[in-house]
Amino acid sequence: MSQSPSEMHATHKMAGHRAGTDIGIDIGGTFTDIVFRHADGTSGHLKVPSSRGAPELAVQQGMARLFAEHGVMAGRICRFAHGTTVATNAVLERRGARLGLITSQGFRDVLEIGRQSRREIYDVIVPRQTPVFLCPRAFRREVPERLAADGSVVVALDETALASQIDSLVAAGVDAVAIVFLFAFIDPTHERRAREIVLERHPQLYVSLSSDVDPTFREYERTAATTFDAYVKPSLNRYLAAMETDLAAMGVAAPLQVMQSRGGVSGAAIARERPIRLFLSGPAAGVVGGRDVAAAAGIASIITVDIGGTSCDVALVADGQPLVRNEGIVDGFPVRVPMIDVNSVGSGGGSIAWVDGSGALRVGPRSAGAEPGPACYGRGGREPTVTDASVVLGYIDPAYFAGGSLRLDAEAAAAAIATVAGPLGMSVVDAALGIHRVVNAQMAEAIRLVSIHRGYDPRGFALVPLGGAGPLHATTLASELGITKILVPARPGVLSAQGLLAAPVEHEVFEGFGRILTQTDPASIRHNLAALDARAAALMARDGVAGGISVAHSADMCFVGQSYYLDVALPDAADEALIPALYEAFLVQHERIYGHAARNPAMIGNLRSVYRSQPGAAHMGAADAATGGADAKGVREIRIAGLPHSVTAQIYDRSGIAAGARFEGPAIVEQSDTTLLIEPGWRASVAPGGALLVQRITKEG
Amino acid sequence: MDTHQAAGFDPVLVEVIRYKLESIVEEMQSSLVRGSFSPVVKEAADASCSLFRADATVIAQSRSNPSHLGSLVFSTRALLEWYPVSAMQDGDVYVINDPYLGGTHLPDLTILVPVFADGRVIALAANMAHHIDVGGIMPGSVPTNATDIFQEGLRLPALRLARGGAFDDGLLRVIRQNVRMPDTLEGDINAQISACRIAGRRIVEAAERYGATELEQMFETLIDRSERMTRAALLRLPQGKYHAHDQLDNDGIDLDRRIDIRLAVTVQDGHLTFDFTGTSAQVRGPLNIVPSGVHSAAFYGIRAITDAAIPTNGGCFRPITVKLPEGSLVNPREPAPVNGRTAVMKRIASCVVQALAQVAPERFPAASAATVLVMAFSGATAEGRRFVLTDLVNGGSGASLGQDGVDALATDMTNGSGIPAEIMELSGPLRILRTELAVGSGGAGQWRGGLGIVREYQVLAGPMAFTHRGERHYRAAQGLAGGGPGGLAHSEIRRADGTVEIIPSKIVTTLQTGDRVVVRTPGGGGYGPAEMREPGALEQDRQDGKATETAP
Repeated sequence: MSQSPSEMHATHKMAGHRAGTDIGIDIGGTFTDIVFRHADGTSGHLKVPSSRGAPELAVQQGMARLFAEHGVMAGRICRFAHGTTVATNAVLERRGARLGLITSQGFRDVLEIGRQSRREIYDVIVPRQTPVFLCPRAFRREVPERLAADGSVVVALDETALASQIDSLVAAGVDAVAIVFLFAFIDPTHERRAREIVLERHPQLYVSLSSDVDPTFREYERTAATTFDAYVKPSLNRYLAAMETDLAAMGVAAPLQVMQSRGGVSGAAIARERPIRLFLSGPAAGVVGGRDVAAAAGIASIITVDIGGTSCDVALVADGQPLVRNEGIVDGFPVRVPMIDVNSVGSGGGSIAWVDGSGALRVGPRSAGAEPGPACYGRGGREPTVTDASVVLGYIDPAYFAGGSLRLDAEAAAAAIATVAGPLGMSVVDAALGIHRVVNAQMAEAIRLVSIHRGYDPRGFALVPLGGAGPLHATTLASELGITKILVPARPGVLSAQGLLAAPVEHEVFEGFGRILTQTDPASIRHNLAALDARAAALMARDGVAGGISVAHSADMCFVGQSYYLDVALPDAADEALIPALYEAFLVQHERIYGHAARNPAMIGNLRSVYRSQPGAAHMGAADAATGGADAKGVREIRIAGLPHSVTAQIYDRSGIAAGARFEGPAIVEQSDTTLLIEPGWRASVAPGGALLVQRITKEG
Repeated sequence: MDTHQAAGFDPVLVEVIRYKLESIVEEMQSSLVRGSFSPVVKEAADASCSLFRADATVIAQSRSNPSHLGSLVFSTRALLEWYPVSAMQDGDVYVINDPYLGGTHLPDLTILVPVFADGRVIALAANMAHHIDVGGIMPGSVPTNATDIFQEGLRLPALRLARGGAFDDGLLRVIRQNVRMPDTLEGDINAQISACRIAGRRIVEAAERYGATELEQMFETLIDRSERMTRAALLRLPQGKYHAHDQLDNDGIDLDRRIDIRLAVTVQDGHLTFDFTGTSAQVRGPLNIVPSGVHSAAFYGIRAITDAAIPTNGGCFRPITVKLPEGSLVNPREPAPVNGRTAVMKRIASCVVQALAQVAPERFPAASAATVLVMAFSGATAEGRRFVLTDLVNGGSGASLGQDGVDALATDMTNGSGIPAEIMELSGPLRILRTELAVGSGGAGQWRGGLGIVREYQVLAGPMAFTHRGERHYRAAQGLAGGGPGGLAHSEIRRADGTVEIIPSKIVTTLQTGDRVVVRTPGGGGYGPAEMREPGALEQDRQDGKATETAP
């Protein structure tokens, strides 16, 4: 897959804004993807197998190849951006810190009690609904200490008790501590003093304070966020430290940058202080990569749909900004930390089809996963999956799956589909079409959830299909949602690594404010924002970003009495007009999302400041420079939903599609990492930047 | 007739449509919860949404609060009796809360909006939310000392709140005038209406795409197939008649009189019969439950004991017969007070599961606490601002084969969340002194029952009106297969002067500055003989301090 610089596409040269080479490395479960871009704008990528348990090995291997085969010089690397799954894996594998939790007197069980609700309402036997594994009760300790709701001290911090609790926790073997005191977000003095005492006595400990991690109301949510942060801190610190050492040994002087869940990178030093912001590092990089590809094609608003073997992840970028939500999900547990709003449903290529007791066709939620995988993989899977249906319908060439690296068993696929076709009283082909219809309906609803539900009309967006299976479903999903443009990145397989190169340095800071709007002095908003700005600016300075910073201020707002906030951008208004302008902006947003907005009193829950450097542009386009058309490499009979007979699809190889190409469906575009199905009624062309633009054919042409 | 055999059954389209309908109710639910004001709705998700066919059969339900989902059926039927769909107009909005006319208890307001396509009603979007206050003798409208329904708040029979998009201002003003926090109530009604309209728009889109008639046929198919799958699942259960008995503490008035729930569940020929013969006569206090609530419990029961993969809709509820002796706790005569219905309903649901656990202990858990302690603190701040703080505190769940019960969890009919201490303290002059697990409250067993919760409240500025509706102060959650019972609930008021008043399960009283309330919720029953508990699990309990009994 590697290319020499001479093969690079001339149109992807950019003005050299830096003197050296930028590197992006994304470590996935199977492959580690590396992209690089030289100062003259030439770029390339390579893939090396990931090494489970020792992710740094793949990085070392990949870097060695960059130096040896691609003319990259360690000393000239000026940016090194990294997407990591270490935080997520520590949680999934339950291999985080031996953690201690110190709380205000009376509140050590908050982590375990949670909000007392369950996710499955009709199950009579349910598992634990809170992440107790982070810190079992024996490791949760209390100290006399208490603030009132207005921040006044009710009980002073008992430093002696604290010292004795931390000594006992250390004796029990803890290597990290989370400290969560009630109302600490109003005044963090007690938490900070507690950290001082902890570190004076045990300087080797990793410490997370709730007033740093999640400084706002609701003690369970804040406790969960802080304990998740502390739980992954030691492993993430060890990992990033080892990587920095490795890079230094290679002669790389550039600071290590890490992708955060919000879609911006930060320096490793800062990332190590708040690892909770890294849980969605990989997927966030993919969304930013999608934005980069779209930007090169002149498109600012996209919906990315990443369909893999077991899940379908949907995210939305509106006017160049990924949609962010302030509470995400980590291993099924809600965690209040800002993340790109990725909505995940358990529908993918491995989803298993079955016939229920009433004779209807169901797909999922069970999945054949990667092992044994779909029946057509020939690894022992017998149950019919979505991928098997794709083979039966002719979308996937059994001889050219994953670039020919895995030969598929078409007969096994058909035999598996027959197991549902029989009970349904359908032909194998009709059953396969049915499986696609059902799974597409599930995915379309997931897309609706992140768009319509958030007040956006999907018809104003381009669909960017990602993952091995995304492009197979793209035209169908677009038709279902009224979307008329689809943009297929040239190399969906390295999009996350590409996103790393394109991501801005970003720092978000917020704090609980908790005031009714009409009783708020605009000066207090300015004052608190100034304090937040100082913190954000200091973080940017630590990451070496001085100029070209954009600043976004916003307020989490709700009507008085409500609990869920809307993130409202602070209007550009003079002090005397600020409060009314903020109120109007809130009403407009509330109306857009919830469909009603009576002129009731509103309040500000949190204030937020986001500092962002100018986003880079990776624009890793296709390698070919040729202009001209596209020659089909053959034809294949395929079946399309809604047509009672097969149609003849032109088969293209992605590498054979030149810049001036235009062709219409039915067609299939094959490449090593994915297959694109273009249904009749859609036309493909090559967009600036090298992505394939697939558009709905209108009557006007 | 088996409609699925009819020509036109499309086993693929039926699933596509089902997914769409379920997505619509979830969107409706999320819009309602996030857009609402009442703390019980927003923090405890005490709200539910359903889509109905024009004949009040459920098409799809949100995954929310089972106690509402069945009740919504009765409210919807009641509204249709008064306002037949043939007389409805696009833009109409309907409201009801009267328990004796199809409601549940007065704080639950049902809002219903008809959905029009091809010039006729093809569906009804409805939801129910627990409002913060609907008047009556106590702020919060759940007085445990009510002796008739007139004391419980404002009664709304089936009413039309808007006609063709124009609101009935007179009716709105009447409602506002009768409640303590009119702005909050109106905000929540708006959120309810808005959620219905969001659902309505999506249904109309579906009708435009698939055809209104075709969509209606699909509703029929979906309902029929859930019915068929439910009947098949019932046939797989051990057939027979099973009994359960549980006891409620008291009705809040006659404090020493326990109340019996006796239930016989018959599983026969793909049908379930719930017979309440032997249940206590109706009580003077508000622990009565109207039939809609009993049906909710029955609906929950049938979903819990059949197959989770069956899509939940009205078809699941067809194979049910409920026998409710007139004048009993479960079928009271008007004007008996009913605001404490949730307490009864949860225990009925628990009885359904317990009856089946006797014959299939490998599939069902020991009894859960099956109660949620409801408290309301109300008064006015120094600045004169009125407040009503409601708190909901759950107990532990029952242990099951191979698994300890879950500590501190809402089970069965409700899915309420505890209110954060930081929200309580921000909202009124209370301080929460502790929120912790009630150690020792889990029933002993090879698998231990889940623990209850201890919470302590201090009044910073009295006087404050205080309502406490507890349960399981006198009757523990029973173990299964040799497991022990869960710990009892216990609550007391520690007055500023040092005197201690034990709360006899229910109380309405006044708290003064400096008074404290300590509550301890019940634990779940254990499963299997305690001596079989693995040493590792015992050691973990010891380290975690979960097994030692301590005073609250």
